[in-house]
Amino acid sequence: MSYPPHPEVPGGSPPEPEPVQLLRPDGTTVEHPQYAPETDPAVLRSWYRDLVLVRRIDTEATALQRQGQLGLWAPCLGQEAAQVGSGRALAPQDHAFPTYREHGVAWCRGVDPVDLLRIWRGTTLGGWDPARRGLHLYTIVIGTQVLHAAGYAMGVQRDGAVGTGDPGRDTAVIAYFGDGASSQGDVSEAFTYASVFNAPVVFFCQNNQLAISEPNERQTRVPLYQRARGFGFPGLRVDGNDILAVHAVTRAALDRARAGEGPMMIEAFTYRMGAHTTSDDPTRYRQAAEVDAWRPRDPITRFATHLRSTGAADDAFLAEVDAAADELAARVRAGCLAMPDPAGTAMFDHVYAEPHPMVAAERAWHEDWERSLEPAGGER
Amino acid sequence: MGVQEFRLPDVGEGLTEAEIVAWHVAPGDTVKVNDPIVDIETAKSVVELPCPFAGVVERLLVDAGATVPVGTPIITVTVATDDEPDRDHARPGGADQEERGDHAPPGRADQDVARDHAPPARQEVLVGYGPRSGVGLRSRRRAPAPAPRPEPAAPPARRSEQPGSSRPLATPPVRKLAKDRGIDLREVTPTGAGGVVTRADVEAFTAAPEPQAPAAREAGDTRIPVKGVRKATAEAMVASAFTAPHVTLWLTVDVTRSVKLLRRLKADPELTGLSVSPLLLASRAVVLALRRHPYLNARWDGDAGEIVQLGAVHLGIAVATSRGLLVPSLKDADRLTSLVDLARGLTGLAATAREGRATPRDLSGGTFTITNVGVFGVDGGTPILNPGEAGILGLGQVRQRPWVHRGEVRPRWVTELTLSIDHRVVDGEQGGRFLADVGAVLERPERLLTWG
Amino acid sequence: MAKVTLAAAVNAGLRRAMDADPKVLVMGEDVGQLGGVFRVTDGLRKDFGDDRVIDTPLAESGIVGSAIGLALRGYRPVCEIQFDGFVFPAFNQIVSQLSRLAYRSEGRLRMPVVLRIPYGGGIGAVEHHSESPEAYFAHTPGLRVVTCAGPADGYWMIQQAIASDDPVLFFEPKRRYWDKAEVDTATSLADAPAGSVEPLHAARVVRPGTDVTVVAYGPTVRVALDAAELAAQEGRSLEVVDLRSLAPLDEGTVTASVRRTGRCVVVHEAPTFLGLGAEIAARVTESCFHHLEAPVLRVGGYDVPYPASRLEEAYLPDHDRVLEAVDRAFTFGGAY
Repeated sequence: MSYPPHPEVPGGSPPEPEPVQLLRPDGTTVEHPQYAPETDPAVLRSWYRDLVLVRRIDTEATALQRQGQLGLWAPCLGQEAAQVGSGRALAPQDHAFPTYREHGVAWCRGVDPVDLLRIWRGTTLGGWDPARRGLHLYTIVIGTQVLHAAGYAMGVQRDGAVGTGDPGRDTAVIAYFGDGASSQGDVSEAFTYASVFNAPVVFFCQNNQLAISEPNERQTRVPLYQRARGFGFPGLRVDGNDILAVHAVTRAALDRARAGEGPMMIEAFTYRMGAHTTSDDPTRYRQAAEVDAWRPRDPITRFATHLRSTGAADDAFLAEVDAAADELAARVRAGCLAMPDPAGTAMFDHVYAEPHPMVAAERAWHEDWERSLEPAGGER
Repeated sequence: MGVQEFRLPDVGEGLTEAEIVAWHVAPGDTVKVNDPIVDIETAKSVVELPCPFAGVVERLLVDAGATVPVGTPIITVTVATDDEPDRDHARPGGADQEERGDHAPPGRADQDVARDHAPPARQEVLVGYGPRSGVGLRSRRRAPAPAPRPEPAAPPARRSEQPGSSRPLATPPVRKLAKDRGIDLREVTPTGAGGVVTRADVEAFTAAPEPQAPAAREAGDTRIPVKGVRKATAEAMVASAFTAPHVTLWLTVDVTRSVKLLRRLKADPELTGLSVSPLLLASRAVVLALRRHPYLNARWDGDAGEIVQLGAVHLGIAVATSRGLLVPSLKDADRLTSLVDLARGLTGLAATAREGRATPRDLSGGTFTITNVGVFGVDGGTPILNPGEAGILGLGQVRQRPWVHRGEVRPRWVTELTLSIDHRVVDGEQGGRFLADVGAVLERPERLLTWG
Repeated sequence: MAKVTLAAAVNAGLRRAMDADPKVLVMGEDVGQLGGVFRVTDGLRKDFGDDRVIDTPLAESGIVGSAIGLALRGYRPVCEIQFDGFVFPAFNQIVSQLSRLAYRSEGRLRMPVVLRIPYGGGIGAVEHHSESPEAYFAHTPGLRVVTCAGPADGYWMIQQAIASDDPVLFFEPKRRYWDKAEVDTATSLADAPAGSVEPLHAARVVRPGTDVTVVAYGPTVRVALDAAELAAQEGRSLEVVDLRSLAPLDEGTVTASVRRTGRCVVVHEAPTFLGLGAEIAARVTESCFHHLEAPVLRVGGYDVPYPASRLEEAYLPDHDRVLEAVDRAFTFGGAY
């Protein structure tokens, strides 16, 4: 990416630090002065499993959409390491605010993949219990959830759940958003609130290079992580396809927030290998060559190499994971196809927490209306 | 085991049709779930479709290069195993609306999806199932509509007038009408539901004489209380006249042959003491015609939404008595095979009625009525149906009139038959044919034998 | 009982609510140190601390968005949007998120958030400080919208709004902030005897009458009462109904009144076109069709942006315009 000359540095851009990286695309490791990778083989194997299963859920959901079983799907293909790496850094008491593409985070938070599919199939607008999962519902309006995360973090402060030193109590919040969302006013306002109140929130931007068709150049003139500096808190860029680095930096950022040191921004530099959604046609705005250039940087391939080379996993394990992925895919497919349509009156439920006369009257009318109509003939 | 169909799905771009660009499989190929099987071209791009089934490709139903609507079956696959999940649902949403070739979004209750009507196009195509095309048909209502909007709880005033309330209820046009006529709505008796003053009420108020003033007694007026038979008749006539749509058909018949036959019958010892009159032959003719046209012997059952063709003929005869008009009916008149039995039945019926001995059973249950207005010296009229019946035949006087007989104008015995029918049950053609048959029998009574 | 202003009454109500529940927070621009530009939050920071009385950054979307986050964490934020005209940056958060989270989560999440919004004109202000945006929010399913006309309602309704588990937009008529009335601010909502406090969403007949029902809310209730006083001198008896709740509407009270009087006039400052008056007119016409001597008439602001303050008096519906509508309601004929 090239930038126009930075105003403070006549004739050139400021020197850009390298993104934090611990695992190169070729699967070899690299040392970083500040961050150390996870080395426990059992943990690494579990992460590998996470990556493969998440990718498989994504693939299956894409296929289901192409078969008319889902109205839409936003694929996370290529972003698995950014999502699993950060998702596995969360403590059980932490709370995450996703956009609508964080299927890997949802997996880490224990959301059943079938539940994940519900909004895409159109049987609900939600899908899971946010309080139990520690994961807010998917938010379609871009950037709005980042403010919710900041407010939530302000609530955590008022609960005294910051800086006590108790790892089971100190709570951090993570707000996911994309490169496109970073342009939204709400995101800047969230940065403002989080910074002036020193709230325990990590702003995790998955820069997958595209907001539908618009590249980074349309969203910013400076690398996104540098925004944080303007608001007075640290920001860094990490290789988003390097699960070891993502996990390390996210863990550190969350712990920092937990300890009461305030917000931080992480820009996970990754790539959206799939389309924006299943309704999108990326051939209209990007070349196949651009996608191909990212294939060697695949998060799962490099990690498999790393596992093999360190002896953390063998071919048998990899095959076992593939089999588990097939099984999961079949279960997700079956779950999707079996999803019941909600009853017509479901649309009147939960508009308000407390009784509301107009909703009650309209529900009653609708029930009478439905009863008064003949079925159109033929059964389903 | 079984053959599964994959129908062209709406891949979320609001597409209504797509072109099959290229098949990746051929009949006989083994396929797994999600194997790419075909490329389709939509308005926006080429999309690869993954197979929803595992099994063996049976047939490719659409050729490459063809454009087909969403919902069209494009391939059949013989499914390998029985544990294919929920087979009935293994089809894209587009299959649900094959009549429209369109796609029903999920999130509608089962009965909704079967319905044909569709709201207008919804969201942008980038974010969902896409718009529906076409309007479909209006759903049929099976029961009276619910109230358009439930009444809000209204303390204390209720919908109908409270007694003693001074606020008259009326629609704006009625208020204007009242105002234009200088009528105070408070003085008008409301007959609308809920105590609402209707336009008719205002009209009646205008037309009616002073309601409160007692009826002025002009010298020479006689007031007859309406009760008993007259009251019942009045109510029955109103009920009949304003419920059943009446249509009356006329037929003038040369009954000379019947008159001659009746003369001979009067001399028959077996009919001594019995009433032998045109009514006897007409009754016979009616019974015969009812057998030929059973839809005249029928009843309208609005509640069940049915016309009931009655098995038996209970022939009602309108009888003028001192107490008023009675219509006793001769039960099972169609079973009276001999004319003598019929004559006996009719004679007894009339006598019982005139003597005031008719039982409620006698006076009810009729299925068809004959009214003999001829005895009063008139030719016919527009008889009102006995409530519940579908036809009534008026028999006019039999008198000589000039008639064309064998090409010459000759005096013949002629009568008029008038038939009123309930047009809900019987239509003009049916009534006409029935009447023509009755006339035909009376014109040539030997038809009693040939048609009998 | 002492006479207090509307501003002081709301202040007292906020205080009661904060006393009763430590989860209640007050947040907004200048609400803490300054006590609010209308002093409605005066003294609260001193007594409850700046953890519970938060001076937020100047970012309305941020106020509502972070309030949503706080509510998700179990708090009950009472936000102040400093002026009606500044609610628009928060419109997205209100309509896309605040109104929908209960629905989206199928009842698992609750949004017990109150947005206090001073509204209406008549204070000679510069642009954007005299708006009446209530219809946008009454039109949004998932929100409750109420407005107090005087100090007593200000005191009780703010406590009821805070106690509600639903998001409530609480519109305060800024030109009435200095009106005074007797209010028992010593008794909290929880301690009030059962039945002594009007339900939050009930309308109230504030002046009984027989000839015309005048429906008003917020700042126009006073206008309607003034009109009724003048009408009485001319021999006409106006019944004034203070709507109090815009969403949900208390149709029953309005219907009962119109069935008594046969005529209805609605008054609001908001522009007439597509204002609350249109909804009330539709519903009253449907429920009182046979009782109506005249169509439901509306008196509202003209359909122009709120004008410069020198034109304000000409713009706002006043008692003369109300009486004109009342007179017109008698020209349609009817029974007499």
